[in-house]
Amino acid sequence: MFQNNREGLALALPAALFTAILFLLPVGLLLSEAFKIGGQWSLQGYVDFASKPLNQTVFLRTLKLGFLVALTSAIIGYACAFCIVNLDGKNRGRVFGLVVLPLMISPVARTYAWIVILGRTGIVNDAILALGLSDTPIRILFTETAVFLGLLQLFLPLMIISLVSALENLPKDVIPAARVLGASWIQVFTKIILPLTKDGLVMGGTLVFTGSLTAYITPAILGGSKVLMLETLLYQRVNVANDFVSAGIIATILITMSFGANLLLKRIAKARS
Amino acid sequence: MTSKWTSRLIIGLTLTFLIGPFFIIIFAGMSAGDFMTFPPDGLSLKWYMKVFTVESFRESFALSLFLAIFGTIAALILGVPAAYAISRYNIPYAETIKTVVAAPIIVPGIIVGLALLRYLVVPLSFTVTLALFMAHTALVLPYAVRVVSSSLNNLRSDMEEAAVLLGCSRIGAFMRVVLPNIQSGVLAAFILGFVTSFNQVPVSLFLSGPGVRTLPIDMLSYMEITYDPSVAALSALLALLSVAIVFLAEKFLGFSRYV
Amino acid sequence: MSNAFVSLQKLSLAYGQTVVVPELNLDIREGELIALLGPSGCGKTTTMRAIAGLMTPQSGKIHIGGVDMTHTPANKRGIGLVFQSYALFPHLTAFENVAFGLRLKKMPVSEIKSRVEEGLNTVGLSHLADRKPAEMSGGQQQRLSLARSLVMEPKVLLLDEPLSNLDARLRLDMRTELQRLQRATGITMIFVTHDQAEALALADRIVLMKDGVIEQVGTPDELYNNPASKFAADFFGFENIFAIKGSNIIGSNGSLTANFDAENGHLAWRPSAISVGSGPFQGTVMGVSFAGEQREYVIKTDFGQIKAANPAADPVYEIGTLVAFDLPSKSAWHLPNVGNDS
Repeated sequence: MFQNNREGLALALPAALFTAILFLLPVGLLLSEAFKIGGQWSLQGYVDFASKPLNQTVFLRTLKLGFLVALTSAIIGYACAFCIVNLDGKNRGRVFGLVVLPLMISPVARTYAWIVILGRTGIVNDAILALGLSDTPIRILFTETAVFLGLLQLFLPLMIISLVSALENLPKDVIPAARVLGASWIQVFTKIILPLTKDGLVMGGTLVFTGSLTAYITPAILGGSKVLMLETLLYQRVNVANDFVSAGIIATILITMSFGANLLLKRIAKARS
Repeated sequence: MTSKWTSRLIIGLTLTFLIGPFFIIIFAGMSAGDFMTFPPDGLSLKWYMKVFTVESFRESFALSLFLAIFGTIAALILGVPAAYAISRYNIPYAETIKTVVAAPIIVPGIIVGLALLRYLVVPLSFTVTLALFMAHTALVLPYAVRVVSSSLNNLRSDMEEAAVLLGCSRIGAFMRVVLPNIQSGVLAAFILGFVTSFNQVPVSLFLSGPGVRTLPIDMLSYMEITYDPSVAALSALLALLSVAIVFLAEKFLGFSRYV
Repeated sequence: MSNAFVSLQKLSLAYGQTVVVPELNLDIREGELIALLGPSGCGKTTTMRAIAGLMTPQSGKIHIGGVDMTHTPANKRGIGLVFQSYALFPHLTAFENVAFGLRLKKMPVSEIKSRVEEGLNTVGLSHLADRKPAEMSGGQQQRLSLARSLVMEPKVLLLDEPLSNLDARLRLDMRTELQRLQRATGITMIFVTHDQAEALALADRIVLMKDGVIEQVGTPDELYNNPASKFAADFFGFENIFAIKGSNIIGSNGSLTANFDAENGHLAWRPSAISVGSGPFQGTVMGVSFAGEQREYVIKTDFGQIKAANPAADPVYEIGTLVAFDLPSKSAWHLPNVGNDS
């Protein structure tokens, strides 16, 4: 640690000021617009926003999808991460690399693949028709299922990465120790693995939930205007109606929920220990 | 032995779900027909060829590349000193500074784009390109600070003190001793920043103007108009490019530990 | 004062609000080999860092070679420091590590080469000049770090726990090596350690510190045989220390009536001064352990616990045995009540 703190401040301030002035300030101004109706400070914008059934539906849907994606990826994530950490060094690195890889690929490309898979003439419908399960193609694209699958594929790696690093930090031999002491696998999971990896779960959960809430491309491509989520709703409000009040409100909701999810998960993690 | 096979099955299914779709777009882009279908109607590389002839793709690719390279460089110029200050000095308001720098990660991109449009581009006549550049810099900054910080934290600070006692100035110690030892971290930060910026969509939704469009936005609007396999082909090409970059980065830097 | 080469005057050191060293005065002669000794947190490392210029004192003065260096930056003081972790530059070869400081001095290349070679030669590393630190053993890294500081011909060489990262055998080699280098170069050396054996073996003088205050300064003989405080006595192996009250000595459980010569303060015995088997006092053996030349006993008595030692050849008393022992007056070290001991 160096003592000259003024020197340290001089090194850190450009980055902080850049972000604060050119990034956070405009965002803050935008958020504040939602509290101003006709030049007056007011909560009327929020009241109006909340009273519209479409907004309610979209809000609940976004929350529901975010929760489902986070929950599903936690379940798959634990299973997969547990298998990965049990691989030997070389294979572990390879599989881990393959899990990380999709994160580096354009989300447009990642989401676009689902059109090919889920579309009217896509693989899934081809299979359904071929198997005679239905006479006409089923609509999967532009349903919540499609958006759910897209989001899950997009964010599952984040959960796996968080859980792998949490499991890697598990003290050696605690699982065999618990087994020897007579714990069933379910007990091993609830009494040993879960408490010891909860920080990883909180981290992964926050990333996946927040990511799903604020995703734009997936609902835009796979949900369209039939399955609006908050981000796509925001885009529509601004583009169609120049409605900056709604935009500010949605933005505030999104940021609050991201923060809230993080705090809540942290609190749950603390309470369990 | 059954647990070994269960384990392989779980990993196999997960990887199929995560990576399988890319193989599908690679093939979908090879269609000989005019519409997206899978399996494709015959095989050809015509859509892969077409991608390179579409003028707007070329322009938007150039813009995205520009933003990714220079946005990330700018983020590193701001971020490396900040990371150094955070890890080596006991600066006042360190927590506030960390929070401010990390904030762009949780602010949804679409809001950023809209906010910059309304408060910088329109009233202060910033060009769209400049606003995009700033947004990308701010977005990459948290990653740059995080990756470089973790490199710095792995480097014992007494090395700098040793350099100073041997006659270096503080800046000299940074250049001669710190930088050579964190260069792979800085490179990893650059790659992560580049990829993040290049793939970034929501920020650019509102920050686009005539002739100024990032590649992903251009792809989205192309998809709205045409349903031919060229977007699949382009997606496949971008995916392969990312794979190549990540493969090289992993090989030479052990990249995945920085993500 | 006049012949002091390094002089610390009313030095006060703090990290933020935490005062580590309230006020410290110390004079060190040229060519001395000094040990700053004390338990962790006693301020010894902080004092060393202040001498190096790595931290700025709250108040007080630091004179080196007759010059006030209190506010001279670390890179202009001409002081060498061998870090506990060695702090070698991992990206540079052994040769380049040693050449680092010389290059900064803009010395001619040929001179750098000869000086580095000489430096590596002094510590016996000439054959490893092209290796990177990661390819060297702990002992070699330490000697490299030493060479890197020595080629700068520092006025003072500081060493932070120089032997703590080495295994037992290397530690002995390094002790001899440090003494040899000190005799050969005549450099004033100050080393920091928490290990009393190391300080006794190496130093010309020992500075014993506790809670940021100097407890005692003296030669190894003086500190070992004539500790001035209860703390110093405890640090140098007087494991049985009892307060005196009237003609009693007070243990943790009670008192023992006996006629000792002293009237106040403390009496202290090393375990080796207390033999088991005969004597006016009695206790129960709680533990026995074999330690080579002697056998060590922990004995529970009515007034407290005693640590004693017999020659290993003597008969063994098993745990639980009631034994007699003596607290011989002639081998007791008397500590009068002073300052912060109570």
